[in-house]
Amino acid sequence: MRRLQTTRGFYRNYIKNSYEDAHRASKEGRPVAWVASTFPVEMLQAIDVVPVWPENYASVCAARQVSVRLCEAAEREGFSRDLCSYARCVLGSIFGEKDLPEGGMPKPDFLVASTGACDTHFKWFQVASRRLKRPLFLLDIPYDTAGSELEGHQVGHYVAQLEGLVSFLEEQTGRKFDMNRLKAVERLSDRTSKLWLEIQDCRKAIPTPMGARDAFSAVFFMLCVPGTEMAVEFYRRLRDELKERVGNKIGVIEDERYRLVWDNLPMWFNLRFFDYLNSLSAVVVAETFSHVWTGNLDISKPLESLARKYLPNFANAVAERRIDLLLRLAKDWSVDGVVLPTNWGCRMMSIGMTVIKEVVYEKLGVPSLIIDVDSSDWRNYNEAHVKTQVEAFIEILSKRD
Amino acid sequence: MRVLEQFRTLLSTRHEVARNWKSRNKPVVGWTCTYTPEEILHAADIMPVRILGSSGSTRLADAYCPDNMCSFCQSCFDTTLKGDYDYLDGYVASNSCDNRGKMYDLWKHHAKHSYIHLINTPHTNTERAHGFFYDELVRFKESLEKAFGTPISDQSLRKAIKVYNDNRTLLKKVYDLRREDPPLISGVEALQIVLSSMLTPKDEHSKLLSRLLREVPSRSNPPKSGVRLLVSGSVIDDAELLRIVEAVGGRVVADDLCTGSRYFWDLVDSDVESPLLAIARRYLDKVPCPFTYQSEDRFRHVMDMAKRYDVEGAIIFVLKFCDTHMFDAPLLKEELESSGLPVLYLEWEHAMTGIAQLRTRIEAFIEMIRGVR
Repeated sequence: MRRLQTTRGFYRNYIKNSYEDAHRASKEGRPVAWVASTFPVEMLQAIDVVPVWPENYASVCAARQVSVRLCEAAEREGFSRDLCSYARCVLGSIFGEKDLPEGGMPKPDFLVASTGACDTHFKWFQVASRRLKRPLFLLDIPYDTAGSELEGHQVGHYVAQLEGLVSFLEEQTGRKFDMNRLKAVERLSDRTSKLWLEIQDCRKAIPTPMGARDAFSAVFFMLCVPGTEMAVEFYRRLRDELKERVGNKIGVIEDERYRLVWDNLPMWFNLRFFDYLNSLSAVVVAETFSHVWTGNLDISKPLESLARKYLPNFANAVAERRIDLLLRLAKDWSVDGVVLPTNWGCRMMSIGMTVIKEVVYEKLGVPSLIIDVDSSDWRNYNEAHVKTQVEAFIEILSKRD
Repeated sequence: MRVLEQFRTLLSTRHEVARNWKSRNKPVVGWTCTYTPEEILHAADIMPVRILGSSGSTRLADAYCPDNMCSFCQSCFDTTLKGDYDYLDGYVASNSCDNRGKMYDLWKHHAKHSYIHLINTPHTNTERAHGFFYDELVRFKESLEKAFGTPISDQSLRKAIKVYNDNRTLLKKVYDLRREDPPLISGVEALQIVLSSMLTPKDEHSKLLSRLLREVPSRSNPPKSGVRLLVSGSVIDDAELLRIVEAVGGRVVADDLCTGSRYFWDLVDSDVESPLLAIARRYLDKVPCPFTYQSEDRFRHVMDMAKRYDVEGAIIFVLKFCDTHMFDAPLLKEELESSGLPVLYLEWEHAMTGIAQLRTRIEAFIEMIRGVR
């Protein structure tokens, strides 16, 4: 398997750095906020608040193999073992555990969350806010019913709340919110998103130049710091490398036989799983996770365009939204099979998989494999069992060749 | 007491009760979340019934539901797959919690109701959220008018508000029968009364409540005194769980359940000019479910209940995989304990597996309270 040049040392160069920056900001008295996924981070960047992503931190702890110790710390405080492992891991990190990766997350001046990913996200932020005695701003996001409603009162409701957020941010930072600054951030965010989608488009090539392991690292910019020069510059380099690979027909693996879509999260504690797939001549060419954070921004309507970027989201939506995305990925990326991982502590990722599997097969004849895993708690993952399922699935695919 | 038996009968014959209504050529619509404004259905002469699970395994639903899904939702879905709800003319869904939101997908795909509507439910109760929910209720009302051909006027909404408020007021009076020691009705009886209210035409139910209130002071077999307990949790749709508590020396005198006080505690303000806006406000401002941002309001309600009903301890019954309750539970436990009340936290499965172990823990908890009396 051939890893990319651009993503080499990604953790050290970018993720580790981001925590060091945040700790430095905190020490210097610059405002730091904890941000939950699907929150329009551009709003924070526009007023120079340093964003820290607990969700990212949980994946870091999992990759560093310490997430279970932190989950157990949360369980000792009474939080059920059946809760999201991201949530338990992050809560565990604020309950006095020692030896935290990157020295832990800096204590926030305030927290911001949205209901747009799942119940878990904002409930966990609510607990953190109470325990850390720091204020929480919550965006109440309408459920995405994948219909025409987006045009009407949903956008209005979102924009009205962003106006409330402006006041909250001004109050917290003592600064004035500058719409022109927001526009500048959005211009970069829009550019980031377009480049990231170009990168995804490169992966349509056969053989595909980039697999899931690199994608799950590189998505960091799209997800956490989209409106920055650094993100644009990095994605430009990554896109160029992929284009070159595509031109020279260099794939992630030499014997690419099975092209897969991976839905939602990986097992952060076991990213080598993707190498294992490669060893079976299978390669992940697209992830729903790489697409959900993207979106164009029209800077002439800075607030409304954030609503339009963040409202459609398969995590906070009826199944059709997710099915449409999977169908598009399966078709346009010439996919042979779909992997649908469930997640023990996540209802959004676990319920309704059978419906998705059925519809994708009906519409495209592409089979899916449902595997029971967990993003950060390896106690909920039975590797031998999952590998048996994967190998049986690959065998089915081999007979369809 | 005959009247108490009638509530029990309504519960055990709930499908027949609904079919009777249908035999008069009137529609029946199922709902799942207590944030569903039943008044709007009532105003269209539709009988709303809460979709509940049934006891035992969920063999049919197991084919579609993962193990880490709320077992109550699974049981509801199984009951539908079995055909027990075939008489329904429609289904009103909610995105209120993740389990329920996802249940909508399963329902839509597998249960082929001609009418299915999802009410987009906010997680906050700010003025903006009220406005958003009002718009959602207008859409809900219009969809009902279109599907069932019955126009819903402000006047019929006002009438429905009155019918529902009357029932709520009576239920509250029934709850107050539990302030005495021993209480005049048991926890099991109280639960059966509230559950039957969700499954019976409201006027009929209110008549029974009035009769109960008249007759109960002279009941010949009042419950015995026991350790006065509050139970908190999401759904308890089968009295068996409370029967266990009351069989080992507990007496459930107060609750914070969505099949209990959270269902009826708050009234719709009948002075507001727009009945739909009054309804929107009532549902978002009521004693909240933990899927909302207003956890502190719920904690306050629990503390008020504990005081009002003079309880000696609390049991938090959390249905497994109910995320929002699981996040709130340690905080609620903290609040209750800091006011000096002992708390037992229990996770349970709707199918009541592992019930022997639960019983042992409940028994030990009650013994412990007795010991410090």
